[in-house]
Amino acid sequence: MVHILGINLPDDQLARFALTSIYGVGPHLSHRLCARFQIHDKCRVRDLTPFQTTALSSFLQSPKTALPVAQYPLAPINFIPRPPSKSIQELQAELNAERAAQKQKRDEKLQKMGKLPVEDVKAKVGGRKAPEKKSRDPLTELRIESELRREIRENIAHQRLIGSYVGRRHAMHLPVRGQRTQTNAKTARKLNSLDRW
Amino acid sequence: MVLALSRASLCRSLPQGTACLPSVRTYANSPPGQQGQFKIQNVKGSRKSKVNKTFSRKNRIGAFRSMNPSQLTVPVLQPRPSLSMPSFKPELMTENMIGQVVAFNQTLNDPIKYFGTPKNMLLEFRLLSQRCSVIRNITILTTEELNSAASEPSHKTRYVLTGPSGCGKSFLLLQAVQYCLAKEWIVIYIPRAKTTVNSTTTHVYDLRTQTYLQPNYAQQTLRRILEVNSANLQTLTMRDGLSYERRSFSSGTTLAQLASAGSKDPAISSVVLETLLTELCRQSKIPVLLAVDDFQSIYNQKTSYRDPHFSAIRPYHLAIPRFILEFASGKRSFPKGAIIGALTAADPAFPVTNELMDELGVPGVHPRSPYSKRSKILQEYARGLRNLPVPTEFSPREAASVFETWMRDNALTAPANDELFLAKYTESAGNPKAFVWQGILGTLEGAAPVVNESTSWPQLREGRI
Repeated sequence: MVHILGINLPDDQLARFALTSIYGVGPHLSHRLCARFQIHDKCRVRDLTPFQTTALSSFLQSPKTALPVAQYPLAPINFIPRPPSKSIQELQAELNAERAAQKQKRDEKLQKMGKLPVEDVKAKVGGRKAPEKKSRDPLTELRIESELRREIRENIAHQRLIGSYVGRRHAMHLPVRGQRTQTNAKTARKLNSLDRW
Repeated sequence: MVLALSRASLCRSLPQGTACLPSVRTYANSPPGQQGQFKIQNVKGSRKSKVNKTFSRKNRIGAFRSMNPSQLTVPVLQPRPSLSMPSFKPELMTENMIGQVVAFNQTLNDPIKYFGTPKNMLLEFRLLSQRCSVIRNITILTTEELNSAASEPSHKTRYVLTGPSGCGKSFLLLQAVQYCLAKEWIVIYIPRAKTTVNSTTTHVYDLRTQTYLQPNYAQQTLRRILEVNSANLQTLTMRDGLSYERRSFSSGTTLAQLASAGSKDPAISSVVLETLLTELCRQSKIPVLLAVDDFQSIYNQKTSYRDPHFSAIRPYHLAIPRFILEFASGKRSFPKGAIIGALTAADPAFPVTNELMDELGVPGVHPRSPYSKRSKILQEYARGLRNLPVPTEFSPREAASVFETWMRDNALTAPANDELFLAKYTESAGNPKAFVWQGILGTLEGAAPVVNESTSWPQLREGRI
């Protein structure tokens, strides 16, 4: 049995399906999470390594403070790998040195052409920082469990505060989105309220 | 009143001492001497509890249990005489043996047991009482090619078996594997290459090779290679030593010892597999065959795996498909040996791609033009592959042998005669899979009703069908 955020994930379930039991994580987010931590589609919860479990738990506890995933270099067609005796630290150091050298080369080329490197350009334009591009990765803005519930509560409270139709319907325990009330509407009467969640 | 009487009568008929509760079931007493026959022993649910539990499926044994074989007296269940046919041997691969069915006997290093087979073939072998296949014209051709490949580097003999669905590509590949093994080659057979790209096995990024390793699959592959080729691998030794992850193998270690170590520990299995292949590429003593079924699955642009940024991982960035691609393209080569792949024509998840169809000269289902999408990298990996087309239909002689084999194995419900054979051969247009599965096994024609004049009941006169 694996525990993540206090939720018990059964051993014999597929990890990709088991993660959807977390409030706020659906099939697509679960697939993204599995991809991020290199969990294949048919991996069962009992096959998860302790490293993967720890990484998942620490990511889900605070998604915003998680480190961004590095870009892994991928082997070109005629790539010859280094011998196995080389350690990971040496290879990482070599990779960092190679990346630094490439960046320096790029900056030199830009300077020759009369264009400044990218950081200087940002500082020059209007003294303001350029607006940050919205990331397409939903994991960067992941909200789950208590945070998500709080957000929903705040949204409902905001609607009530501004005196909108949506807020009034929540307060009256009635359907909000224009459904019929002459019959049915039982779920709304049961669940819709201002202090939902 | 009536109910009370009936309950009383029920109680009177029961042996004394039993409670007359409506929820308690009682059965007739078994005859003396057989009382302990079906007594359940040492089972959780057999203990009598004071409280009547609700019906639970948890500890149920079930009503049906297997009987002793000596108690089976019904004619249908009598053991059949096993099919007798010659065993598959390299000496039998001659022109006059075309149309003969030969058996794949179980040996100590049986490739069918250790490497496995594609699913359809597995089902067919389960139905037959002996694993066998028919020698065709294309089998003789393939064995001749393999004979000439035994003394040439593998980049000169790279074939892909093509043909429509059900024409016998996988069977031909298995025959090639059996032939090479009997000729004492080293054989690496991957019957379902689809499993390397459909995200069913562990993958982990490795900075040294800049690819995603598949340690569990590498471990399984090493174990299988070792089981099938242990005799040959014990005669070969490593030229250079290997040290990785606190494990070291000195030069002079046999490849069997290396493979054995890799098959026990998934942490080192990928490196061990890579080293094993490198060593096999250096030795020129024993020819090596790399046979891959589902060959087209590794030529699809995107696999089912996703990288941490959620983009699809390419097959040449996964360790196992990459090594197959390198050997198939001739970038890596065994000094002696061959590479044979077999396409799976009807797999919608991993169809045959444009790059393969262009290289092999196969028409394909949909028309394609110079503007159709192609990957330059996959074109590079497909360069030099040669097409070996498998005939789409059985010859009448081959079909007759197959029909007779199934007939002797009691597969036919209909009376076996020429009319049935020709009917099924025509209906399936000679296609091997359709002939066996829809023709022989799928026929619903039963035996003709036998007229029984002596019976006194008119409805039984025509006998049972």
